[in-house]
Amino acid sequence: MSTPVSARKPYQPKLGRSWWLKHNYYRLYMLREATVLPLLFFLGCLLYGLYCLTQGAAHWQSFQLFMQQGWVIALNLLAFAASLFHAKTFFALFPRVMPLAPAWLMISGQWLATLLVAAGLLLLFGGWL
Amino acid sequence: MSEYQLLLQRYDPEHDNEPRQQRFTVQGEHTTSVLDALLYVQQQLDPTLGLRWSCRMAICGSCGIMVNGIPKLGCKTFLRDYHAEILIEPLAHFAVEKDLIVDMTQFLAHLSAVKPYLINDYSGTQPHKQTPAQLAKYQQFSNCINCGLCYSACPQFGLNPEFLGPAAITLAQRYNLDSRDNGKAARMPQLNAKNGAWGCTFVGFCSDVCPKQLDPAAAVNQAKVESAKDFIISMFKP
Repeated sequence: MSTPVSARKPYQPKLGRSWWLKHNYYRLYMLREATVLPLLFFLGCLLYGLYCLTQGAAHWQSFQLFMQQGWVIALNLLAFAASLFHAKTFFALFPRVMPLAPAWLMISGQWLATLLVAAGLLLLFGGWL
Repeated sequence: MSEYQLLLQRYDPEHDNEPRQQRFTVQGEHTTSVLDALLYVQQQLDPTLGLRWSCRMAICGSCGIMVNGIPKLGCKTFLRDYHAEILIEPLAHFAVEKDLIVDMTQFLAHLSAVKPYLINDYSGTQPHKQTPAQLAKYQQFSNCINCGLCYSACPQFGLNPEFLGPAAITLAQRYNLDSRDNGKAARMPQLNAKNGAWGCTFVGFCSDVCPKQLDPAAAVNQAKVESAKDFIISMFKP
């Protein structure tokens, strides 16, 4: 008597590299993750500025001229918008990971803390307030 | 009555090498679910259509399918919410056995890997009491019906089938949070591992598709907090 042969032949679908283009939810997720890219540029500017500061007045002035260029301002504005978007998603996710208080309270508390820290830094370094 | 076109993904392991699509026309009224439509196709138009279903009331978790690319329970999805053509495929990221039937072996293995049951020394005959506050800690995560929709929504599971995945980690968290359970130490190695909670990147789509609103993404990321605590505590143990 021959052994029965299984008719099974499962089809295993493959998830290609473009999986994140399939759905709006995935695209938004990738956008959230991609906010780090303009932030890298901002960090580069910051490090360059610190380096110039240690090299004397001439370097510092060249750094200031560099920062005043239109494309540098545009990229830094993009980095600012990206970090605000990332903050919005992060603040919304945080109460779900650590449910310490009602979500609305934690979200508004985080924005308030961000505003206070930003205002404090502006007062300290900008002298604008 | 309105007319709908169902574009069904078909796969017959005895004849096909890869899935193909077949179009069916069905009539639907306000209360016609996608599952009703699929059963109409099976009973009236093509008896070879393979699909899983049981309760028809979003309790059993058997009729998970992709509707226009989004994981849904067929019984809880209604034709009235769609326009003329509806694309229906088997749950994503799982191997397809036939038509809309997928192989859930891996999913079930992940569920059992986290020891989803109470582990304790309690052997008394009296009820093991719990306060409402203790119940509230895990109750939300205990409503899982094991439908697997979250695995089809999770790209990390799609890329790496060894990833424990949303439902299994939620279940581990459900028992870890239960005051009657002492099995956390037995579950943490699974959660701490490379394919445990840290395999998640908080895409969050699992919570969006969960038909029981469990918020598995929250459970998985709470498990990351537990895993980090477990790691720090282990550094101070001899």
